[in-house]
Amino acid sequence: MFAEFKHALRRSKGQIFGWGIALFLLVVLLVSLYDSIAAEQEAFQELLSVYPSEVSAFMGDMTSFGTPEGWVSIEFFSYMPVILGILGVTVGSGMLLNDEESGILDLVMAHPVNRTSLFMGRLLAFITTIVSILVIAWTGFIISMTWSTMDIGWGEMWLPLLSLLAVLLLFGALALFLSMILPSRRMASMITGLLLVSSFFITGLAELNDKLETAAKLSPLNYYQAQEAFNDFNGTWFAGLLASALIFTLLAWWRFERRDLRVAGEGGWRLGKLAEILKTKK
Amino acid sequence: MTDYAIEIQGLVKWYGSVQALYGVDLNVRRGEIFGFLGPNGAGKTTTIRCLLDQIRPQEGKIRVLGIDPQINPTAIQARVGYLPGELHLEENLKVEQLLRYLGELRGNKIDKDYLNQLVERLELDTSRKIKNLSSGNKQKVGVVQALMHQPELLLLDEPTSGLDPLMQQEVYRLLKEAQARGATIFFSSHILSEVEAIAERVAIIRKGVIVEEATPSQLTRMSMRQVSVRFLETIDPAPLAETEGIDLLSQSNGIQATLQVEGDMDTLIKTLAQFPVKDIETVSHSLEEIFLKYYRAEDQEEV
Repeated sequence: MFAEFKHALRRSKGQIFGWGIALFLLVVLLVSLYDSIAAEQEAFQELLSVYPSEVSAFMGDMTSFGTPEGWVSIEFFSYMPVILGILGVTVGSGMLLNDEESGILDLVMAHPVNRTSLFMGRLLAFITTIVSILVIAWTGFIISMTWSTMDIGWGEMWLPLLSLLAVLLLFGALALFLSMILPSRRMASMITGLLLVSSFFITGLAELNDKLETAAKLSPLNYYQAQEAFNDFNGTWFAGLLASALIFTLLAWWRFERRDLRVAGEGGWRLGKLAEILKTKK
Repeated sequence: MTDYAIEIQGLVKWYGSVQALYGVDLNVRRGEIFGFLGPNGAGKTTTIRCLLDQIRPQEGKIRVLGIDPQINPTAIQARVGYLPGELHLEENLKVEQLLRYLGELRGNKIDKDYLNQLVERLELDTSRKIKNLSSGNKQKVGVVQALMHQPELLLLDEPTSGLDPLMQQEVYRLLKEAQARGATIFFSSHILSEVEAIAERVAIIRKGVIVEEATPSQLTRMSMRQVSVRFLETIDPAPLAETEGIDLLSQSNGIQATLQVEGDMDTLIKTLAQFPVKDIETVSHSLEEIFLKYYRAEDQEEV
């Protein structure tokens, strides 16, 4: 398992550094801008008071724009689940399917590494990749706060990042599970990406329309905590997201243990018989 | 310990609604070089992948080195070297990085001297990235990784595909050496000269069923021969045509006849003894022709 973990992590270093450095720079920019925003707080509050409620629904409580927590939540954490979610979906769906579709897994699985070890090694590398990117972002906050008046504690800064981590693991695990049951990685990514964006919109729109409240309860992003994490971190929601991620991961593992390794489209959706029946009926 | 490195009984495999194997029965003895022949889509790769538990059959019994692949696949994989028919390698790695990674998957139990020897003999540049290698050089990487841990059993799907004739010869030597060490070699191939040169026994698979299993020389002996006979004077070819095992394909003015003979030549020689024979020319079928006979049989069935 360790050999596979090491190898998978080595392959992810481009993602870690690419995404990590991009987030680091974004965070440094946002924290550096905060002092100017805070200095003009009154003017901003006046401007924000006329912002439509639709903006608040998606970006968070606009009245807290001038506070450190409000600023980082609105400018960073409000949309990160979608931005980093795309990474989670891509990495999750490709964790095994990338190599399977390209035929590499055929050779790897002929080596004495059982399916569980391979799965766990790669899963560990996936989690490490996501955590590393978030650690780099967190480091960006901590470093840039040394020259800013923004004052959020080191531990406190982790709270929304933890919630973000849970969301990313959930969508990554869902993409992984779908990649095990759908015929292609592309389809798994597409469906999970669609669910991610839908979840973002449903959660936001539910703030404006009460009728969407029930749908929002089923939306994973409803349990994501940005600004709320600073004020009152909900451990149950966090655990719920992680538990869902764990369920999808276990289902994906269960499926991977039992399925045929595909080569050039072999053993995809078992709809052949259904297609034959439909053809006969016609 | 069983005498067989590979035992397959009644292997059936479906891909959704498509049946790939219809009850394959095959036994490969320990220490032999076994050639597995068949047209594309006949079930060669499916059979090999079942042996490694990469895919699971719906019916049948498999034992590889006495082990059930579905019960303990890693025990088999540790003792087997595998070269896939369609070899795909991680393009961004250097050859040495890839071989190191695959060695790590084997618990670093690789004899470095032997590995260096393989690399040298196959003239492989390990400092180059996989993506910069020609298909022949990629195939060499495949051969090296299959052999480097000196496995007890080699499962090779088209081992010399893409290699130049000199390298093909080198691979044959490596396989013979592996056999001399006690390894069993099970390989599929389309190169019939290769099968004739190194295989001790051969099985032909067609449409998911083994249609023939014999030594290459037995297969050649079993085949039809074409015999062209010229006579010193005009003869009546009727006795020839009436003899069992002999077919008169054509004749010209009773002075020349083309015959097809099944089995050995004894009957023909005895029948010809009654005629004044000037010349006999025998055309023996090569393994390739025998192989093509099975291919054509498939085409005719489809028609």
